[in-house]
Amino acid sequence: MPRRASRPDKALGRTNEPAVLILTSLASGPKHGYALAKDIEEFAGVTLGPGTLYGAITRLEERGLIEATAGDSRRRPYRITADGRAALAVVVRDMRAIADEGAARLRLRVLARDIITGHLPAPSFGRAR
Amino acid sequence: MNGHRRFERSLRWYPMDWRDRYGDELVALLEDTYGDQPLPRRCRLSLVRAGAGEWLNGSGAERDRDGRRQQVRSGSLLVLCAWSVFVVAGAGFAKFAEHWDAVTPSADRRLPAAALGAVQGAALAGAVVVLVGAAASLPAFVRSMRQGGWSPIRRPVLRAVTVTSVTVVLTVGLVAWAHHLGPQQRQGAQWAYAGAGAFWALAVVASIATCAAAAVAATRYLHLPLRVLRLEGALAVMATVAMVAILAGTLVWWGALAASAPWFFGSGVVGSSASPVPPALILSGSLMALALVAAVLGAGRVARSLTRMSAD
Repeated sequence: MPRRASRPDKALGRTNEPAVLILTSLASGPKHGYALAKDIEEFAGVTLGPGTLYGAITRLEERGLIEATAGDSRRRPYRITADGRAALAVVVRDMRAIADEGAARLRLRVLARDIITGHLPAPSFGRAR
Repeated sequence: MNGHRRFERSLRWYPMDWRDRYGDELVALLEDTYGDQPLPRRCRLSLVRAGAGEWLNGSGAERDRDGRRQQVRSGSLLVLCAWSVFVVAGAGFAKFAEHWDAVTPSADRRLPAAALGAVQGAALAGAVVVLVGAAASLPAFVRSMRQGGWSPIRRPVLRAVTVTSVTVVLTVGLVAWAHHLGPQQRQGAQWAYAGAGAFWALAVVASIATCAAAAVAATRYLHLPLRVLRLEGALAVMATVAMVAILAGTLVWWGALAASAPWFFGSGVVGSSASPVPPALILSGSLMALALVAAVLGAGRVARSLTRMSAD
């Protein structure tokens, strides 16, 4: 029986935490460990060590935010659960609110993807929000 | 060593139950990522750190059923290691206590004799408990060997077999030699025999240590059924009780002899004065006490986990 946090999103951590990166990757469809690592490297530019990746997968599965699907037991794909989607949505909304505020103060145009990847564009004071 | 085995070995830092669940997947990830290349140091560090994290996670408040089984296993192994140390310390004590009754007035022998009897009885009971524990895990060990479980434990087992074989040969040689010596020569008058005796004692310690290490390594890879795990846990608690009895008996014997025949701790001449705290006894007693602390910690972990498993 997976363990459930009372507020799953509270356990996810900051924007570039492995848990958030994994949920973001799985939001577009099931992936196994290697595919997850490659996808995260591609969209976030973050290389997760194998220990870090599987440590985060363990925690996420324990909390019921992701689940293993049937398939090759050595390359088992994981998918995001409804709780996982809800938790990611809360985190993304929180991040978005902070990012919007920061962007407004910096007069930046920030995309949700930029928030998750941490690749914020350079300040451009000519583009008011 | 092929790639699969090499990557499997890199997961040795993880708890058994974690490896059972995620080990194959992580090995597949390492194969896909690194292929035939050696694992980079950064990756190895990541695995060591994450493996240690999983152990800590397993000992946290949220441990689940598998975690509790792991706790019983690790607690039992801690007791086994403590017992090994206890055997070494107890052997030192037994050697020290030889011939105590020869210099003790017959009227004062009753209490130390009873204490020593309790020590010997508890030591025998503890040895039986350890043997029963080994016998109980034997079927799982055989199953593991049939399923290719020899490779990860080959080194520690071969090391233990080699050291123990050398110790047995030394023992036979020493006993044969002793038969050709007189009592005084056996008591240290002949330096070569005394040196060989010291070397033999070191070999015995090394043998106990390598056997304990081999048992720990083998048990880490065993899939013990729940009833066997419960039995191992109960035996670990019993072994700890035996250690408590041994240490208590030792202290009673020590105290009784210090009060009635303190000269035993010195020259042995009846009526002479001597310190009742000889270094050899301090060393043996301290080792026993340290081992007992470790055993109590292990047994406590086992008892807590068994109680929670019963409540599941």
